[in-house]
Amino acid sequence: MHEVSIALNVLDIAIDNCRKSGYDRIESIRLKIGRAAGIMPDALVFAFDAVKTDTLAEKATIIIDHAPVGGSCNTCKKNFVSEETYVLCCPECGSNSFRINSGRELEIIDIEVV
Amino acid sequence: MKIKVVTRILEANERIAAENRKLFDNAGVYVINLMSAPGAGKTSLLEETIKEINNRLKIAVIEGDIAGTQDAERIGNLGIPVVQINTGGACHLDANIINEVLGEIPLKHIDLLFVENVGNLVCPAEFNIGEDIKVMLLSITEGDDKPLKYPLMFQESSALVLNKIDLLPYTNTDIEKIKRDAFSLNPSLKIFKVSCKTGEGVREWTDWLFSIAKKD
Ligand SMILES: Nc1nc2c(ncn2[C@@H]2O[C@H](COP(=O)(O)OP(=O)(O)OP(=O)(O)O)[C@@H](O)[C@H]2O)c(=O)[nH]1
Ligand SMILES: [Mg+2]
Ligand SMILES: [Zn+2]
Repeated sequence: MHEVSIALNVLDIAIDNCRKSGYDRIESIRLKIGRAAGIMPDALVFAFDAVKTDTLAEKATIIIDHAPVGGSCNTCKKNFVSEETYVLCCPECGSNSFRINSGRELEIIDIEVV
Repeated sequence: MKIKVVTRILEANERIAAENRKLFDNAGVYVINLMSAPGAGKTSLLEETIKEINNRLKIAVIEGDIAGTQDAERIGNLGIPVVQINTGGACHLDANIINEVLGEIPLKHIDLLFVENVGNLVCPAEFNIGEDIKVMLLSITEGDDKPLKYPLMFQESSALVLNKIDLLPYTNTDIEKIKRDAFSLNPSLKIFKVSCKTGEGVREWTDWLFSIAKKD
């Protein structure tokens, strides 16, 4: 729901890295977004396109690498991986007592600059 | 040319949250981030808590709303220092917004700071503000399916206050199911059942606050 504030953070970090390296235009920004990060990719791209005008990233596109949700079950003790946004029960045994260990990533991996 | 960045997008928020946390620790203030869906009773619980605690702990409140000052006025009427933040549309408070108003809170003179987050069951749980703990409210009329539909907030919270239990006879909400599902998402969750209308259960909640909030 807060894709605009995420988009602004992405823009700030990307522009900062671009300037620091002495370049003046960003062509693309690669993000890693966990399935359980609570971010809708389409909404993020839409928000980014709105905030990038008149900046070094004016022409930049967003590339998203999705990261799966990883967890471990308190009942069957197995580790699992899932592409679902909301893991509501252990995919192995159906228990809803489990821990999520990954899948909430929200990172900038790299940027392409010229 | 490709530049490796590998930075958490919310790193700036985490950094400012850590700054806030240092200010709170230095002043010996315990901070609770209070979250719920709109209308679950956050401001009502603060009113009941302030009356029950009756100055035995010095309390201040930061009110976060998209717009309006009604909540801050309700708290101000009880003689408690309060700051109203209007997010102007944003669905949550973040560490920076809190940092900007901290100058208006008499940190040196209080024991406990409540931050009433924007009414929303999703986003507030994702942004740390430098709090000691998160507490969430769920009102009986929201239904017993909420823990499994909005797991993150239940997982991130240290305590769950089930409010409006005076309305139990008028709903088909199964309070045992809420407790079961909430515990399975978060085995260390403290659960309180209260009614801000009748005052039932408020004492157990404030007793717990006393037990955790004394830092010095
Ligand atoms: N019956 C009953 N009503 C309650 C109780 N607690 C709060 N209410 C009512 O619920 C409504 C919303 O309460 P608030 O305290 O304003 O809720 P809130 O969570 O602060 O709302 P927002 O700040 O707008 O998200 C008010 O009309 C309260 O009087 C309760 O325990 N029982
Ligand atoms: Mg309120
Ligand atoms: Zn299992």
